[in-house]
Amino acid sequence: MHTNSVTNEFNSSEKKHFDLRNIVWAIFVIASSLIGWNQYGALMDYYEDSILAGATIGLIWLGVTWRSFQPAAVAVALLSLLAIYTYQSHGNVISANEQAFFLKYLISSQSAIMWMNALFVLATVTYFFALYQKSEFTGKVATSMVWSAAVFGLVGMMVRWRESYIINVDYGHIPVSSLYEVFILFVVITALIYLYYEQKYKTRTLGGFVMLVVSAAVAFILWYTFDKQAHVIQPLVPALKSWWMKIHVPANFIGYGTFSIAAMVGLAYLITSKIAQKNPESGFVKRMPSLELMDDLMYKAISLGFAFFTIATVLGAMWAAEAWGGYWSWDPKETWALIVWLNYAAWLHIRMSKGWRGTPMAWWALIGLLVTTFAFLGVNMFLSGLHSYGTL
Amino acid sequence: MTQTEISKTPPPSPKKNKILVDFLGSMNLAVTLLVMLSIASVIGTVLKQNETTQDYIIKFGPFWSDVFNSLGLFHVYGAAWFVLVLLFLLLSTSVCVTRNTPTFIKDIKQYSEKLSLTALQHQPNHTTFESNYSAEAELQHAQTLLSKNGYKVKTHHRDDGSVTVAGLKGRWNRLGYFFTHISIIVICLGALLDSNLLLKFRELSGNLIPETRTVSLDEVPQTAWMGPENLSFRGSVNVPEGQKTDVLFLPYEDGYLVQKLPFTVEVKDFRIEYYDTGMPKSFESDLILTAPELDKPIVQTIAVNHPLYYKNYAIYQSSFGDGGSILNLKVHPLLSPIENAIDLKTSVNKTEPLKTPVGRFNVEINDFRLFNMVPATEEEKAATGKKFHNNGPSMVFKVRNEQGKAWEYDSYMMPSLQEGRWFFMTGVRTMNSEPFRYLFIPADGNKQKDRFFKFLALVNNPVESAKILTQSFPKTDQVEEKTYELQIRLMQQLLSLFRSKGFDGITQFVNKNVPKEEREKVSDYYFSQTSFALQSLYLNTLQQEGKKVVQDQDISDFDKRWFEDALNALNSLPHFGPPMYFEMKSFKQIQATGLQITKSPGKDVVYFGSAMLIIGVFFLFYVRQKRIWVNIRSKQSDDSNEAKSTEITVAGRDKKPLPETETEFNALVEAIRQPVNKQTD
Ligand code: HEM
Repeated sequence: MHTNSVTNEFNSSEKKHFDLRNIVWAIFVIASSLIGWNQYGALMDYYEDSILAGATIGLIWLGVTWRSFQPAAVAVALLSLLAIYTYQSHGNVISANEQAFFLKYLISSQSAIMWMNALFVLATVTYFFALYQKSEFTGKVATSMVWSAAVFGLVGMMVRWRESYIINVDYGHIPVSSLYEVFILFVVITALIYLYYEQKYKTRTLGGFVMLVVSAAVAFILWYTFDKQAHVIQPLVPALKSWWMKIHVPANFIGYGTFSIAAMVGLAYLITSKIAQKNPESGFVKRMPSLELMDDLMYKAISLGFAFFTIATVLGAMWAAEAWGGYWSWDPKETWALIVWLNYAAWLHIRMSKGWRGTPMAWWALIGLLVTTFAFLGVNMFLSGLHSYGTL
Repeated sequence: MTQTEISKTPPPSPKKNKILVDFLGSMNLAVTLLVMLSIASVIGTVLKQNETTQDYIIKFGPFWSDVFNSLGLFHVYGAAWFVLVLLFLLLSTSVCVTRNTPTFIKDIKQYSEKLSLTALQHQPNHTTFESNYSAEAELQHAQTLLSKNGYKVKTHHRDDGSVTVAGLKGRWNRLGYFFTHISIIVICLGALLDSNLLLKFRELSGNLIPETRTVSLDEVPQTAWMGPENLSFRGSVNVPEGQKTDVLFLPYEDGYLVQKLPFTVEVKDFRIEYYDTGMPKSFESDLILTAPELDKPIVQTIAVNHPLYYKNYAIYQSSFGDGGSILNLKVHPLLSPIENAIDLKTSVNKTEPLKTPVGRFNVEINDFRLFNMVPATEEEKAATGKKFHNNGPSMVFKVRNEQGKAWEYDSYMMPSLQEGRWFFMTGVRTMNSEPFRYLFIPADGNKQKDRFFKFLALVNNPVESAKILTQSFPKTDQVEEKTYELQIRLMQQLLSLFRSKGFDGITQFVNKNVPKEEREKVSDYYFSQTSFALQSLYLNTLQQEGKKVVQDQDISDFDKRWFEDALNALNSLPHFGPPMYFEMKSFKQIQATGLQITKSPGKDVVYFGSAMLIIGVFFLFYVRQKRIWVNIRSKQSDDSNEAKSTEITVAGRDKKPLPETETEFNALVEAIRQPVNKQTD
């Protein structure tokens, strides 16, 4: 983000934020959120209006600073519209899912998510294959797989959002409420952030490693779907019926996502440096990015994550103050969020002050992922608390 | 050199306690504290907090639960050592901030434009080149270039005639440091405001003793009362619909405190809405808040996520329960030879004394439920598409005899469908640990219990039954007077035996009084006699209903099934506890809403701190402090007709060196190298 503009600080080639494409993009985003607002505005309260406004600005900014995001977003918008339109024309969901070809095989939330899962797993394999056969092309294929997986994931969420209302207006809610739903959010966000770094650092060699986490999450989603029927849309418990959810959860998952990326880059770092010690001339080491770059990427990811995790935790506290009557109740989920946060604060300090780099920080980032995973999943599995959403 | 290195080394201070300060402000301590906090928190989540001592003893055994308790592991977040760690973090951060402030302030102000050429050449990035533009032009160029790229510039003319343009960018990064770290202090202070330190202090000074009994307010001693002096609390209170409260109960250690409120909350109404799945959809309470300083009361409906804020108090919808629903009961004596049920008007949480021929009893009404959602059967799902179905209102109550033995009942008002027939279900048990055993009273043609109690009374009534039996089995001439009477008497005895002990009773009787070889024969005979008797009583019951039934063939299938079900019910009556059946005739539900009321002056402080923290973190990460020096000196050339050339040294330093620093610097050098006129168009 920042570095983009800073990097070419002195080249006269930058500062073209106002070229035609970006203007079109801005108009597109504003138009679509206006359409959305006029369609569903009736269901939204004052806070949700401002969230929509904020999201609009955020999307414009994101698209401008990261252009490749623009086509993806357009694809998501069009596919989602197509799906919603098809539902409109068929009326009830169940029959629509059966009748309409598009929905049944492509973009009903369930099919879209299944496509996403498949593509993520494929991408993982392809990235490693590309790394193995040093093929630029294969790498490109993997990247495009991740892109399309992310698009399918986002479409899946958009459509699921609509489906929840079609099933029963009472049920309607943004799909970030159950463990199943946030897992989809997690893989999509992780993939997108990874894609951003992949472009910025111009290397695809880390893709396989990052996609390992994503594939693991996909495995969980599949198990959760087929074994536990978790994909069935359930109504919200009263405590979750709040606009806070719309900002608290996504902020959290930007944190989780970046922390996972940092950990996987750390893994790549450790492997690379190990091999480099054995023989510096090995092709693998040559293919992988420089250790400095990986170390820096770890730092960038963790600082981005830390920033958003801070926001998420604060928002969480504010929500808790409104729902449970106290901004801090030492509820297991809260507490583990604090633990994760403190852990990365310590990580940043060591790096800053002691100037530690490389191996120890990579290990720490890896352990950090364990802590994060427990905060994200373990708490729901093993500890009871006020955060009663999505238990296993 | 010296000036640029300041950012890290603390200013030399001759004081003796420097070591202490250094320690407190040291990053090692900071990190150690952060890690300690995390570990403590982990313990707090793994060991379930604030449970009862018994539970802990059961879990860990007396020894370990004692050890853990003395370590404060059951109340980690309130434990002295935990608070101590927090305070240390507070101290350490403050020291750290105060220590870094002067140097960081300097760092923000300073351009270090006076650096010597050699110092510049010691910077992480530096390069020197020649240009054949005039020093003035280059100076101009450098200044515009830097300021165009967001650098604040300061120009310094050295005595040797050379000029240094010093640029500084991203000084807010330092602000970020102050924001983050001061925010930590602010947040801790806010949290401290909301902690129960005051209570702890009062407890130590002995004039605070939490109440552990469940007694009415006026029995709670003053030592457990809190007044307005308590400036932060979080407690809860249950208020029945139509009632009001001006107190609050604060859980404290293994008891509670009573908090007097400066206002009164009245609950007009409480509502629960359900999804079609039977899952609750919303909890709402209509509140009226009155206070002396309010000339008009506040009327507001609260719901989960929508509390009522008043001054620095907040009122939350947190739970619900029964608020003393009024129940109109009919008490059927199960042994009475005539139908003489008595009416009983009572309400939940009341205890009713009952005097009966079989002794005195206390009836404790424990709970009333308007809905009883149970998973729907497959065919129901198919029919209604709903996953749950509602068994209707039920009440939970205990019947306690003089010895104190209690039977707990779970009784449903409406009949529910079992294998295609309608039954009134009542569960009974004598221990909480065991599940309810259900009595199924078959519903009659108009879905009532009338027929059952008629039939029961008849079975209970020796005189009536004797009449009926003699009618249905008239004496024939073959049999003698004596045997005939014995016959009737036997039937009566069998009836009462069955009534008091069920079919098992008859079997036991036979086993006790009949020699082995004849038992089978005799018991067969007895059972046939019993059923003859019961059948004829049943026929009579049906006739009383005005049904034209003379012998079995006339009885409808429904009535046949009913008879079998009734016998099953009668058969299990002996195990039903005291001979009373409580029928819920009607009810008026009164719910109680569970309110949580808090006063937290620290909240806004904490929010303010959080805002600072977020802003600060972004400054720290996304504002980079960078310095650039461009030193320009015109090169003296002895040969005058040769064009005057300029020598330029560019140096850069990034507070947080990143891989991109290098490329950025080179880009900068390139930009400066560009001929000036290109720049000016
Ligand atoms: C919960 C407590 C704390 C939090 C959340 C926190 C957070 C941070 C963050 C996010 C950074 C920026 C790291 C980076 O730019 O990579 C930082 C830097 C720093 N922290 Fe802390 N910190 C905390 C406590 C402390 C304490 C107790 C000290 C005192 C030793 C301290 C001293 C520093 C210093 C000296 C820096 C470097 C500032 C600079 O040179 O830009 N921090 N802190």
